Amino acid sequence: MTIQVERLSKKFRIDQVLNSLSFKLEAGEKMSIVGPSGSGKTTLLRILAGLEIPDQGTILLEEKDVTRLSARKRNIGLVFQQPLLFPHMTVAENIAYGAHMNGKKTESTVKDLLAAVNLTEASAQFPAELSGGQQQRAALARALANEPEILLLDEPFSSLDPNLRQDMRYWVRDLLDKRGITSIFVTHDREEAMLMGDKIGVFHEGTFQQFATAEEIKRNPRNPFIVEFFDHHLLLNDQQYVHIQDIQFSEPSGPCITYEAELLQTTFRFSEKVAHLYVKEFDEKITLPTPDDDLSKHIELYIPKDAVQHFQSDGKCNDEQ
Amino acid sequence: MRLFRNKPWFLLLPALLFLILPSYGLATAILESIRGTDGFTGEHYETLFASDRFTASFLFSVRTALIASVLSLAAGVLLTRTFSGYLEKNIPRLSVWLPMVFPHLVWGYIMILLFAETGLFSQLLVSLGWIESSNEFPIWTRDSNGIGIILTYIWKEIPFVILMLFPVYSAIPRSYYDLVETLGGSRWDQFKTVEWPRILPVLLEVFLIIFAFTLTAYEVPALLGTTFPEMVSVLSYQWFYSGSFEDRPLAFAAMTGTSFLIMLGALAAYLYLNRKRMRAMRGRL
Repeated sequence: MTIQVERLSKKFRIDQVLNSLSFKLEAGEKMSIVGPSGSGKTTLLRILAGLEIPDQGTILLEEKDVTRLSARKRNIGLVFQQPLLFPHMTVAENIAYGAHMNGKKTESTVKDLLAAVNLTEASAQFPAELSGGQQQRAALARALANEPEILLLDEPFSSLDPNLRQDMRYWVRDLLDKRGITSIFVTHDREEAMLMGDKIGVFHEGTFQQFATAEEIKRNPRNPFIVEFFDHHLLLNDQQYVHIQDIQFSEPSGPCITYEAELLQTTFRFSEKVAHLYVKEFDEKITLPTPDDDLSKHIELYIPKDAVQHFQSDGKCNDEQ
Repeated sequence: MRLFRNKPWFLLLPALLFLILPSYGLATAILESIRGTDGFTGEHYETLFASDRFTASFLFSVRTALIASVLSLAAGVLLTRTFSGYLEKNIPRLSVWLPMVFPHLVWGYIMILLFAETGLFSQLLVSLGWIESSNEFPIWTRDSNGIGIILTYIWKEIPFVILMLFPVYSAIPRSYYDLVETLGGSRWDQFKTVEWPRILPVLLEVFLIIFAFTLTAYEVPALLGTTFPEMVSVLSYQWFYSGSFEDRPLAFAAMTGTSFLIMLGALAAYLYLNRKRMRAMRGRL
């Protein structure tokens, strides 16, 4: 099922939450929407689900305009931040409820989904008896039992501990792949966005600042916001940036730019020593892989001039999709 | 505090002390209801159950209490779910709860002032020319259907129902309604799946409280009821204070039987609410 959103706008009093947002997703594609907290990602999801009506714009499902269709008639599933399992129903009953609401055969669907989410043995348990991860898996199964044409996931792992969250990411991505479900995953976590989406929509000020693959975003960030939001680059000014890996601790042979930095702390990431630095020139903190030898408190950073990149477009995103 | 942790039954002491008086009353009533001239006997119960007056009174009482309780609950649920957002504000909430401040007897008198054949509404309809005389106004006080009693209790108990239900409605996450909607559920499904399981335990408890009260309270039926059939509380009062001492055990037997019925209802409700599914609803497994 394809979903096409055209020039979607929504305003709450003076807040322009969506500003002429457009994108298209092909059947079976997975998309992540990432952006700062409070940027309106959840509102976008609620509009797509039919829980809010946009002020302007259209939502097309397989060419059919569903913009004014209520959520109950739209057949778009939504997995919420909290599992929201019905506490008086067992796991199996919760999943059956999802199937039943859509008039689907329940028995075989429930059995299949219980197996798919590894909850067969917990089928007779009540939500209060389950762990956080089990609850979220049951919630996902309930949404899938409803056989939605598009599945929306609104930060479903945010309440889980980091280890469980990581496991759930791989597991859910795998499940969505196997079932070929078109999905939109909302998160504020950049790594999660890269893991869960074939494409990433970086959402800010009511629109996508960039809508591309993770690789493309890293290779060619579209504007200063993208550079500042992800940790891949250092923003030099409104037109220029540099890839983090091009910043050096020792002076290169060719022409370069030099910046003074203050060492705040060193830690380890993926067995590699990283330095947390404050660059006074930009009033910004950056994190760089560093050689093992001890760094002094005040250091100099060198950027080869040929490593400096320029933003290539006008910084806008929607017109090009 | 450590003492309370080690011996939790200490915490029950205030409740036990409070229960001394009603327990003494109940025990005395039971004793009196089975005491005969030659020791214990069941003859008072035999006389009671054979009495047409008691049967009529008991059925009338149960019917009246049942109607008043169910209608209070239904109206309370309807009002709470409709205005739960509005009730978050102090003034609307206080105005709803205001009737609870006044005793039942006051509301009974207000009912007479408003709904009696010579009451305010009757006079109003006559002056508007809708009815020719106050005789045409329906009999809603001191009537054999107990309408006045039912109206008084409904009026008085609805705020109590709202008081008990409001916290439950306030605690329901709005996302549950959205969830049911995205799954394709209707407004009825939202009520059935999201609200009903949450309010059911409270409704059961409130029903028992209101039912027990309306079944056995004296002042409102005495003020607004007829001489036949009278509520069981009024009948018991008459038996207790009648000139004949032979009627007194009947009053005790009637009240003991009624108490037994209420306790049976409370036990059934407790067993129902203590099932695993209901405990799961409250997260107490």
